[in-house]
Amino acid sequence: MGTPTTRIRNFSIIAHIDHGKSTLADRLLESTGTVAPREMTEQVLDNMDLERERGITIKAQAVRMPYRAADGLDYELNLIDTPGHVDFAYEVSRALAACEGALLVVDASQGIEAQTLANVYKAMELNLEIVPVINKIDLPQADPERVAAEVESVIGIARERCLLVSARTGQGVGEVLEAVVNQLPAPVGDRTLPLRALIFDCKYDPYRGVVVYVRIFEGRLESGTQIRMMAGQGVFTADEVGCFRPGMEEVGELAAGEVGYLVASIRNVRDSKVGDTITEAQRPAARPLPGYRQASPMVWAGLFSVDSDDYPDLKEALDRLQLNDAALVFEPETSAALGFGFRCGFLGLLHMEIVQERLEREFDLELITTAPSVAYRVNLRDGEQLEIDNPAQLPDPSQVVSIEEPRVKLEVVTPREYLGGIMELCQERRGEFRHLEYQVGDRALLTYDLPLGEIIHDFYDQLKSRSRGYASMDYELAGYRPEQLVKLDVLVAGNSVDALSTIVHRGQAQGQGKRLVRRMKEVIPRQLFEVALQAAVGGKVVARETIPALRKDVLAKCYGGDITRKRKLLEKQREGKQRMKRVGSVEIPQEAFMAVLTIDR
Amino acid sequence: MTAEDHPGPPRSLYVHLPFCRRRCAYCDFAIAVSGSDLQDRYLEALLRELLFVSRSGAVGQPLETIHLGGGTPSLLGPTRLGRLMEALAAGFSWAEGCEVTLEANPEEVSPAATRDWARMGINRASLGIQSLSNPTLRWLGRGHDAAQGLKALGWLRESGIPQVSCDLMSAIPGQSTGAFLDGLDRVLRFQPDHLSCYELTLEPGTTTRRLVDSGRCRQVAEAVALEQLRSARARLPAAGLTRYEVSNYSRPGCESRHNLNYWKGGTYLALGAGAHGFLGGPAASALGLPAGCARGVRYWHYRDAATYVRVVGQGSTGIRSSEQLDDSQLGLERLALGLRLTQGVKVGEERLLAASRRLAAHGWLEVEGERVRATPEGMEILERLTLELVAA
Repeated sequence: MGTPTTRIRNFSIIAHIDHGKSTLADRLLESTGTVAPREMTEQVLDNMDLERERGITIKAQAVRMPYRAADGLDYELNLIDTPGHVDFAYEVSRALAACEGALLVVDASQGIEAQTLANVYKAMELNLEIVPVINKIDLPQADPERVAAEVESVIGIARERCLLVSARTGQGVGEVLEAVVNQLPAPVGDRTLPLRALIFDCKYDPYRGVVVYVRIFEGRLESGTQIRMMAGQGVFTADEVGCFRPGMEEVGELAAGEVGYLVASIRNVRDSKVGDTITEAQRPAARPLPGYRQASPMVWAGLFSVDSDDYPDLKEALDRLQLNDAALVFEPETSAALGFGFRCGFLGLLHMEIVQERLEREFDLELITTAPSVAYRVNLRDGEQLEIDNPAQLPDPSQVVSIEEPRVKLEVVTPREYLGGIMELCQERRGEFRHLEYQVGDRALLTYDLPLGEIIHDFYDQLKSRSRGYASMDYELAGYRPEQLVKLDVLVAGNSVDALSTIVHRGQAQGQGKRLVRRMKEVIPRQLFEVALQAAVGGKVVARETIPALRKDVLAKCYGGDITRKRKLLEKQREGKQRMKRVGSVEIPQEAFMAVLTIDR
Repeated sequence: MTAEDHPGPPRSLYVHLPFCRRRCAYCDFAIAVSGSDLQDRYLEALLRELLFVSRSGAVGQPLETIHLGGGTPSLLGPTRLGRLMEALAAGFSWAEGCEVTLEANPEEVSPAATRDWARMGINRASLGIQSLSNPTLRWLGRGHDAAQGLKALGWLRESGIPQVSCDLMSAIPGQSTGAFLDGLDRVLRFQPDHLSCYELTLEPGTTTRRLVDSGRCRQVAEAVALEQLRSARARLPAAGLTRYEVSNYSRPGCESRHNLNYWKGGTYLALGAGAHGFLGGPAASALGLPAGCARGVRYWHYRDAATYVRVVGQGSTGIRSSEQLDDSQLGLERLALGLRLTQGVKVGEERLLAASRRLAAHGWLEVEGERVRATPEGMEILERLTLELVAA
C-alpha cells in the first residue's frame, strides 16, 4: 500500500538563520492543515529550548503534510528539516540525501548568505532540485529583484524561477506548495525489491527507546518485520512504523519513496547510526545505500564538575545525553588538578559547547572544560603506537620516536574575491594548497590539506570574518603525518598543571606559550602570594609572567547600614572562591582552563 | 549576655537626618537636598516613628548610645534639633553616661551652635573636615574651606562638648601624600579625642567615580594609597590616638561606643529615612517585623525622605523591608565585622581557628586562645583574609 510514489514529494528547506525558515515551515504546516492555527507554537519544528534560543536546528525533523494540489490530486509532502552548522555537516548531508528537492529561502533584503550556499552546494552534489524562495517581500527594505539576480549569478538558477513570498503574511505560500508538487521530482524506487531505508536521524524517547527517522528508497518497511542495520549489524523487530503529522502517528507500513519513523526496541542511538541502511533480516539487500560515514569525534576535551561531589551526577548526565547523541563519546579521566572527570569526544567545538550547555542547563551541573585537543598517534621506541587524545598522557620524550598529527582535506567554497584572504589563513595554519577550481557563477572551490588541530579552534570564525561570512567549509579526515610536535606545559607557581597542557608545533611553542601565560595572567585573580606562570617545553621555560601578590584589599568604611551589603558580597565571593580549583596554594578560576581558546593569534 | 555572644535587646539607637546643603561629589548616602518645608514634615514623621518604636516594647533596657547621623544633622537648627532631643529623652530611658553623638559639618559650627548642642545633651561631636587642602575640598564638592574646618574644630574643642572626633580622608585623587599628612598634622594640633581616617571610596553613581572612570581624574595608585594609610598609622600613636578599627583611632576610652556596637555584632534600633537597624528575634517581632525563629533581623527604611514622610503619614513605621538571619549568617557577619577591630574577634569553631593559624604563620593574623585579630599588615588585606576564613 502507501501513497503512489508519483504523489510523494520529499524536500527540505535551506536557509540562513533569520531568513525565515521556521516561519515558512510553520505556514506550510498551517496551509496544509497539518497543524491547526490554534495549536501553532512559534517554530513548531525547533523543539529543543537550546535550538530556539540559538536559532539553530540541532536535530533533524520530518513532517508529513497532506496536500490537495491545484490539479485536484492529493499529494503527500514530506518536509525534512536539517541541522545547520559545520559540526553537523554529515547529518545535514544525510537529511538532504533523503530528499529529491529543496526550497532555498533567501531574505529579500539580505540576499544569499554563506552558510546557505554551503548547503545549496551540498544539495546540488546530491542532485536535488532547488526552488528558490525569496522571503520577507513585505518588508520596506525588500529588494527581491536584486536578490533574484544574485540567485541567478551565484547559483545559476534563472531569476524568473524565484518565488516571491512573505511567510509572515502568508503571501505566496500557496505558490510554494504548487512549486513543490510541480517542480520537484517524485521519488523513484521499486517497492518489490528488498528493503533499503536510509537512517537520516534518530532520537531517544524515554518511553519507546530510539525513534529512527527513515527514508525508504526500495521495498517496504512493515511493522513486525525483522530488520537489520547493514553497517551496525544489529537485528531488531520493527514494533511500530509511522510518520510525523507533526506528532508521531502509526501507519503500519512505509513504502519506497516515503519518509517516516521506526520504533524497534532499540535501546541506544549508537545502534542506529545516521547514514546506515536498514534492510530486511530475512531478505537482505545486496548493497547498502551509498554515503555511509562513521561519525567519529574530531575534538577531545576533559569535562570535570566544579564540585567533585557531583562526579556521579556528571556520569549519569553524560549517559543520558549519549542516549540521544550518537556522536558523543566519553571515558573516565583523572586529572591531578581537576580530580575525576571524563574525556569526551565531540564532532567539533559547537558540538562541545552544546553538550556543555545542555549538561549545565538540563542537569544543573557546573563544569570545567579543558582545552580541546585532537587525537595524536605516538610512535614509541619499542615499536608500539599509542593514540592519544589528551596531551597529559603523552609519554616521556625519551620514549617517543615520532608524533603524528591528524590532517584533513578541507574544502572551502567562496566567492572569488575572498580567495586571497582565505588562502593566507590556510597558510598561517600550516596548510598545504591542493587545488583551486572555478565553478558556476562567481564561486570558487578551494582545497587544502591542513592539520586538524589548526582548524578546530577559531578557523571557522576566521574564515567567516575574512570572507564577510560568505565562505563555507567542510572537511574530512585525511590521514596522519609525523610532525615536529611538542607538549607545551603550563606551570603555576612551579607546579605543572596537567589540565593546561597542549600539544603544539615546535615552531609555534614559544609564541603560543607567551600568549597563553599572558591570557592566564588576565583571568587568574591576584593571590596572597606572588604567582609565577610559566610555559615550558620538555622542562625548558619558554615564556613567563608574574601575578603580583595582593597588596591592598580592605573596605575603608563599614557602619550599620553597610553590613547587609557586606555580608551578601562575602557570601557571593565565598561561592566564587569555592568554585575555583586549587593547584598547590593557587586558586584558579574556571576560565583559566579554557584560556587557550580565548587567546588571539 | 554580652553583645558578642547573642543579639540581646537593643541599647543603641541610630537616627538618620538626611538633609544636606548639597550632595558632595563622593557621596552615595541617603540624603535630601531641599528646603525647610520638607525638614519640618520629616521631623514630624520621625517623631511619629519614634513614638511608635518607644511604645512597641522593642527597647528593653536603657540606651547606651544615640547617634544622630546624616546627611548633615547639624543643618537641622536648634529648634528642630531641640524638639528631637526632647522626644528622645521622653521616649527612651538613657543609661548613665549615654553616648550622644551629633555629626556636624564645619559650615554649621559656631560658638552659639556648640553651646546649644551641649545644652541639649550632645556629648560627642563628629566633625567632617575631610581635607585641609582647598583645591581638594572643592574637588570633593565640600561647602567649606580649610580655614573654616580648623575654626570649627577649635570652637568644638572649647564648647564643653566632652568628646570631639574628626573625619579625614586619604587617597583622594589630586591630593599628594604630603598634603594629606600636612592636613593630618594640623588637625592633630587640636588634640581630637577621636579620628576617623578613611580612604576615599569611589562609589558607583557618584561624581568622583564618573570623573575617574571617564579618565578625567587619575585614581590614586595603590602604592600611594598604602603609603598614606601607613604614614597615618605611624604618626597617630605619638598624638595619643590608638587604632582600634581599620579606619578609626582614639584616645583610650574615647572609642565610638556606638560604632563599636556595630562591629561587635550588637543590636541597634534605627529611625528615619534610609536607616538600618538590627534586632534580636523578640525585639523584631515587637516592631511587627517577621522574625520566625531567626536569631537576628536586619531591617531598613525607605531611602527617599519624601517617601518616608508619606509612608509614615499613612501610619506605617517607614520600614521598607527586613531580612532574617540564621546562625551561619550571623556568624559570618560577626567574623567579618569583628576582624575590623584591632582587638579582633572570638572564634569558636576549630575549623576557623585552624585557618586563622595558617594565616597567622604569614604574619597577617594573630591567634591567642580563641581570639583572632589582624596585624597591621593583615588589616591592609582584610577582605581577602576574611574570605579565606569564611571559605575555609
